[in-house]
Parts: sequence; structure tokens; C-alpha cells
Amino acid sequence: MPADAPLATITIAGGGFAGWLAASLLARALPDLAISLVEVPGPDRSLGVAAAADVLLPDDLPLLGEAGWNGPDLLRGGRAGFVLGTALSGWRADGATAFMPYGEIGAPLGPIPFHQLVSTMRRRGQPVNMANYALGALAAQAGRFAPPPPGDETVHAALTFGLSIDTARLAEMLRGDALERGVRLAGTWHGEAVQRGDGGVQRLVLADGTSLAADLVIDASGPASPLSGARDDWSPWFPFDRVASARRTSEAPAPPYVHCDAHHAGWQSFAPLADGVGELFVFSSADAPGAPAAEPFAPGCQQAAWTGNVVRIGGAAAQHDPVAGLQLHLALADVLRLIALFPAACEHPAEAAEYNRQWREKTECAFDTALLRLACSGALGAVWDRLRARALPDRAAYRRDLYAANGRVVLHDGEVLEEAGWTALFDALCVQPRKGDALSDALPSAKITAHFAAIRQAMIAAVGRMPPYQALMAQVAA
Amino acid sequence: MMAGPIRKVVIAGGGTAGWMAAAALSRLTGNGVTEVVLVESEEIGTVGVGEATIPPIRTFNAMLGIDENAFVVATQGSFKLGIEFAGWSREGQSYIHPFGAYGADIDGVKFHQVWLALRAAGLPLPLDDFSLCTTAARLNRFQRPDGNPASPLSQIAYAFHFDAGLYAAFLRRHAEARGVVRHEGKIGQVRLDGETGFITALALDDGRVIEGDLFIDCTGFRALLIGEALGSAYEDWSHWLPCDRAVAVPSTRTAPLLPYTRSTARKAGWQWRIPLQHRTGNGMVYCSRHISDDEAAATLLANLDGEATADPRPLRFTTGIRKEPWRKNCVALGLASGFMEPLESTSIHLIQIGISKLLALFPDASFPAHERDEYNRLTALQWAQIRDFLILHYKQNQRAGQPFWEECAAMQVPETLARKMALFRAAGRLFRYEDELFTDASWAAVMIGQGLMPERHDPIADTLDPAEVRNLAARMADAFRRTARAMPTHADYIARHCAGRPM
Repeated sequence: MPADAPLATITIAGGGFAGWLAASLLARALPDLAISLVEVPGPDRSLGVAAAADVLLPDDLPLLGEAGWNGPDLLRGGRAGFVLGTALSGWRADGATAFMPYGEIGAPLGPIPFHQLVSTMRRRGQPVNMANYALGALAAQAGRFAPPPPGDETVHAALTFGLSIDTARLAEMLRGDALERGVRLAGTWHGEAVQRGDGGVQRLVLADGTSLAADLVIDASGPASPLSGARDDWSPWFPFDRVASARRTSEAPAPPYVHCDAHHAGWQSFAPLADGVGELFVFSSADAPGAPAAEPFAPGCQQAAWTGNVVRIGGAAAQHDPVAGLQLHLALADVLRLIALFPAACEHPAEAAEYNRQWREKTECAFDTALLRLACSGALGAVWDRLRARALPDRAAYRRDLYAANGRVVLHDGEVLEEAGWTALFDALCVQPRKGDALSDALPSAKITAHFAAIRQAMIAAVGRMPPYQALMAQVAA
Repeated sequence: MMAGPIRKVVIAGGGTAGWMAAAALSRLTGNGVTEVVLVESEEIGTVGVGEATIPPIRTFNAMLGIDENAFVVATQGSFKLGIEFAGWSREGQSYIHPFGAYGADIDGVKFHQVWLALRAAGLPLPLDDFSLCTTAARLNRFQRPDGNPASPLSQIAYAFHFDAGLYAAFLRRHAEARGVVRHEGKIGQVRLDGETGFITALALDDGRVIEGDLFIDCTGFRALLIGEALGSAYEDWSHWLPCDRAVAVPSTRTAPLLPYTRSTARKAGWQWRIPLQHRTGNGMVYCSRHISDDEAAATLLANLDGEATADPRPLRFTTGIRKEPWRKNCVALGLASGFMEPLESTSIHLIQIGISKLLALFPDASFPAHERDEYNRLTALQWAQIRDFLILHYKQNQRAGQPFWEECAAMQVPETLARKMALFRAAGRLFRYEDELFTDASWAAVMIGQGLMPERHDPIADTLDPAEVRNLAARMADAFRRTARAMPTHADYIARHCAGRPM
């Protein structure tokens, strides 16, 4: 094929969530492409870990909206529950619970970030709970919730939420959409492929013996992909090697946050759905003899996501410890990045190189997020002690040490958390800056206290005007 | 060393950097502990860098609570909508790198991709027509945005040209009113602690000794503290940016008063033209390997559009950056921290971001390494991003037959820039890395302006309805044209809002 031939055909390997997400979004963005999808037998590990529920972060929702999937569709199709943040139990050395809200916490005072004001007041002897100044945390606590109406400019507009979705149900909906838009279901693939010299694939050989060629192959077949290349192993930092998931139904919707509980051998999380809870159990097999049946899990990532004409997305590209709940967000980011860099021609070294660079950045930021969430915790147990005893890689250590020194948050291009998210994470795990911001420390306490009181009063009033969460969910269900 | 707040900040050197730092750091005195002093000598001239600026200067002035019109009045300033690059792609051609965006994205497709798709479909519209700043600049018109986000005027982004000497004087009044104490005197010796190597004091020629905890080196190219006393090494970038000399001369104001800076490529460098209310600032930046000082000065004088009002002033520099702009208890700002030619008017911006980083990372008296390391990391990143953008102008020139320019076109550029150029060449894609200063619109303006045309456009742009896109594009260009024509001339706008006193 000539190098500058237009890229016209795509094959997606894997009919799990990631594969159908790619199929639906690509078919919507580039309707002239000929897209085929081959299914891979077995449970859906296309996002990395087979979880009953996965979380769409607040920033994902407008991106999906632009791609054609709006909130009401996701709510109904995904049996979704709203998520205002994560409640932590068992994570702190002092035994206290904590809440990590999405969105901004408090409000800056001129150029001074809110958390620096908090730090100043704490060092002056006044205890401050940051969650008391986060609208999402207050709403979750009060059991009240309503998405801010479009164009709202009141305090309510600051309410930031994600969605917890039933992964299998939403995959069904994406599948229906993709097929309706002309994506061809080409058969079943057991992993046989004719390779090219450059790390790419000439054609896939299907279960029925036929073969399928494509200009571009999107590998969405999960961690055990037959197309996998050289890999980095993360198990030295992430000791949890077993995963189990369950879906429970209930009469009433679960409250609008994810609950994550740390125990002596690992952690478990409970994500709210419209009609129940998605549960995830993650632990270290060495520390939990006699634990219930679970699947093995090996954290790590591919050294390159895009080689030749193969683009690995979601769990085929990276296998993150699911503690930060990022696997759906990352798979979506992969698909959107592919669309943003979609090559016009069959030869596309510049696009592939840039894709890999951006993917690597994002992967490293997600790695840091998950690792610091685990390594900064004060959870009790031998596995946690081992985890904390291990030296952090330089970049993660730099983030923690800089925050602990003066509350400054390091931000890179691929962040999954912004300044407020990192602050919430460190603060929830008791990492506190030793020293204050010079401008903040130059302010009199009365001025800061008045600022705090004004924020809190406005937020409490805004929460009081929201309907009870149960009432809203009943309305969604109707 | 005892921990606790910094008690005394000593700024060494006045000039633009020194007084910008003094004005901003004066806020720290609010804690009742910190004292800020500045040492400068009237005998030592200042270089007066950066008479042209970029839009973030407005944030800096706003942070200081400075009224924009008062500032323009006090500095004989004028407004700036962008930079004209004349002869940079080839002799006789010119383009404007405007502030602000091009057009509006259509259905999530970036406007420059829409423009490329129209071009591929046989409709080669001038990119300039889709920038309100460029359209207004070509008509010598100016008006501030009116605060209505729906109006085409909201596309106006602007900065200033101003007299750097007057700006320093303006900031001096601001800083002194807020408690900064100025000491007149020449620094004779920088005293170091025998054990830690930290600066303990500046000894002045007249015998006075100024002690301090934190020292800000604003001594210009001499880098008296950070370089001479503390030995922070210098990283030379002249293999990428080979110009190493400049000569500057003011001339009389001419009409019309242009609302933009002009940069004209010459035989072995380029000439700047900065329009102010009371004069025009001019200069030649050149490479001494390719042209003599005399020839450079003669070229400059032969290409003025007004009368020269002073003798040409020469300047020598090595483009590059101080490897540790923060070392021990000393932070370098301005020319002491490094030099990049004023091709994209970034000199004052570099001072400004140095100050805001220092404020955000302001240390206590124990000087923990974290603040310093983060300051140095961010500085290196921000400088390298601007460096790459400057190199692009030289690398992507088509001035055949001139050895200096042919050398530049043939040079190997940093990998970060090579990747950016390859990606743009492939399908016009641009990504903004790590919050870099220059936006996609800026990169597109210079790449396209200098003739780096993408081979293809983003396939997403083909999903738009061509007839509708044509229609939208025509309406956008028309709205910009009408908006620009309705603006007052730049000179009238200044006369009405912020005329300086006749000098």
C-alpha cells in the first residue's frame, strides 16, 4: 500500500466496553470510515479490571456530550448514580474518615489559593476541615443534590459531579449505537494475527478461518492482548494482585459518592448505581490467605501504545491499580486522543509519536495519582507497611515532598487531578504543608476567618435549596 | 539558620526588573515582619529591556492595582495588537503574529483546520481576515473590548508599548509608597557566609553595608550576585539563536501611530520598531559573525522612518539561561537570569513570571530546597518553551542567498521543536504543552506566516458541511472587517483616553 494512501478502514479488536466506546465515538466523529469490530471471548477486561461499575469523572461528561452522548442517555443507559466525590474509611493513621470531593474547595482570596489560607489558619492553631468548604461534600452530607441548571451563575454552579455507571449496561448501549451507525460486526477473534515488521499488523485471522485486513487496528482486547508489545511492570509499587467484583441491587439508590474502605490486606469500594451498588475488592494474595475467589491482576503498562498500525487503548495499553477509579476515564481519553490525532494517511509517524507522548504523560500522571493515594495512606496492615517502606519513584516523590513542604501542587499536561483534586487527596491522607504561603501568612486572621465564613454560609444556603437526592433519583427513574 | 519568615529582602539593581520586583514584593510587608529594600546607583545606566510587551502584562499591572490608563499616560505608552514580521519568510513578504484567536471553532473543529480544509477545497482565503487584531492593525485602528462576550470586539487582545525608563520610575513611586526603601549607592562587594556560602550582605562603595535574608539579583548582564558571587553557571543557547549584538536608537514619532511592533529581517539579523507616544524605539539585533558593528549601525540608521534623536547605543549578549536562576538565598530576575532576544517581546514577561513564581514559592529563612528546585524547574521549562518559539522564526525562513539565514534554515533544532513542526506539517495539528505561554493561534500564525504549510488537514474538518463552512467563514471575516472599520484610529483612541504629557 502506498505510504500516503488515505486511511480508510479500521478494525477494532475486542467487543468489550472499550471496543464499543471506540466504535461509537469514531463512527460519530468520522462517518466515512469503514469500521469493523471483532469480538474476543471471555469476560470484559477491556478497561483493565472487570468491574461492575466504573466512574466517569466530572470533566468526562462535557467531552462525551460533545461526542454526542449526553447526561440523560448515560443516566438511563448506564443505570448511573451521581458521584460527588469519594468517602474514605480506614485510610488515615488517626482512624478518622475523610471525604475527597470533586471540584473546587473553598475559593481563593485574590491570588492566594484556598488551601494556603487553610494552612495558614491551621498553623495559627485553628483546626479547619477542608470538606466543610466543598459544595459537593456538603451536598453529600446533607443527602441533597441537583445538577446545576445550564447557565446558572450562583454558588450552585460550582457543584461538580461525575457518574458511576453500570459498565455492562452502558457497553450494550454503545454497541447498539455503533451497529446502527454502520459499524460491522465481523466475527470472533482468538488472537491469531499476521504481523508486519514494524510492530503493526497486516491482518487478523478470525475463528472461522477468514482474515481481516485494516489500515488501522485498534486493540481493545484488554491486558491479555495477543498484540501486546514490550511492557513495564509496576508490581514493585503496587502489591495488590487480586481483584473481584460484584453487582448488588437495592430498593433505594445508594448515596451520591463512592465509598472506599481500606483493610489489612487491601481495599474495597462501593460505587452507587441507580438501582444498587457496584462493589470492587482488591487485595494482596500474600496477605489474605483463604480469601474468596478472585482474578489475578498485574499492574503495568505497554512501553508504547501505538506501534505500526496498532493503537492499544484502555486495558490493552495500561493496567492501573483501580484505587483511583480512573480506568474508564483513561479509556475515554485514549479514544478522544485517537480522534484528535486521527491520521489522514496510512503512514503516520508524526501522529503516532505524538499520541504516544501524550498517552505516556497521562499514564504517568495516573500512575502517580494511584500510587500516592496508596503510599500516603496511614492504613493498618503488613502490606501497607511494605508499600510505605518502598521508596517512591522520583516524580511521585517530588509531588508529595513539594506539597508537604509548602502546599504547592505540581501539575503536568496529563493530569487526571487538578490543583483542587491533589489538595483534596493529600489533605484527606493527612499530608499537610509544613510552611505557609508568604502572601497568605501576611494576612490577618480576621480577614481569613471572614472569608471562610462567607464561603460556608453561601454553600450551606445553596445546599438547602437542593432537593433530596432520593427524590431526584426517583424522578430520573420515572 | 533560624527558620521563620524572611525578615529582609534586598533587591540589587533598579531598572525594569528591580522595580517590578520591588512593586510586587511590597505586598509581603503586610505581615509586619518582612522589609523590602532596593539598592541602585544613578551612575549605572539600565538597558531598559522590553519596550514592547505581550498581553499578560495586564495581569501583572492588575495585581498591583495599577489603573491601565494612568499607566499608559505615565509611560508615554501605546497599544499593541501584535507583531508584524516583514521579510522573515522571504524579502518583500510580511505577516502579522496577532494576539488573540483566529475566527471561531466550528462544531469543535479548530478554526485553522477549517481554514486549511477551505484552502484544500480551492478557496485560499487570507488567514489575516480571520483575526480581528490583524484586521484592526492593518487599518491602524484600536479599541479595547467592551466586556460583551458576544460582540466581535471580544476577540481583541492587546498589550502595550512603553518607555521602560518611565515604567521603572512609575513602579518606583508605587513601591516606595508601599514601604520599599531605596538606597542610592554602588555595590562594591557581595559578602558570603563562610560556612553556607549564602549571601549575608552587600557592601556599598561608600562603606555602608546592607544585610539581608533573601537577595534578588537585578544587576543586569553583570549578574553581580548570582553569577560573580555565587557562580551559577550559564547555559549558552547561541547555537540556536546566533544573534549576539544589538544597537538601539530612538527616533521622532511619525504618523500614523501603528498599533503593533514591527520586526524587519535584515542581512544578518533583524530590526525592531516600537511606536510610543513621544518617540519611536528602534534597534538592530544581529550576528557579529556575519556583519560588522558599523554596518549594522549604518543599516539601522538608514532604515529609520523618523529623525534619530540620540546616538546609537551598542549592546552585547549571549543568548542563554542561568542554570540555577535561584541559588542559595539569591534569585536572579531579568538579564541577570538569562537573555533571549526581544523577537516576541518576552523580556518583561520573563521578569513577571519570575516574580509570580517567587511569590508563590516564597521561602522562609531556612531556605528549604523544595522551593528553589521547583522555581528552577518551572523557569527552565518556561524559558525553553519560549526559546523554541523564537528558534522557529529563524529555522523556518526562506531568505535564500544570505549566509546567515541559510545557516539558520539548516540548523538542527531542539527535539521539542522538531516534533512540533513535524506534527504541524503532517496535518496542521498543534498541542499546547505544560501551560506554555504561546497559544495554538500564535504557533499557527508564525508557522503559516513563515510558509510551513501542512500537507493535509485534520480529517474531522471534512465532516463539516462545505457550503455552511464557506458561509460561516465569510460572515466571520465580514464581521471583523466591519468591527475594525468602526474603531477609532490608534492615535485618536490614545488622545481620548490616555495621552501622555508632551515631552
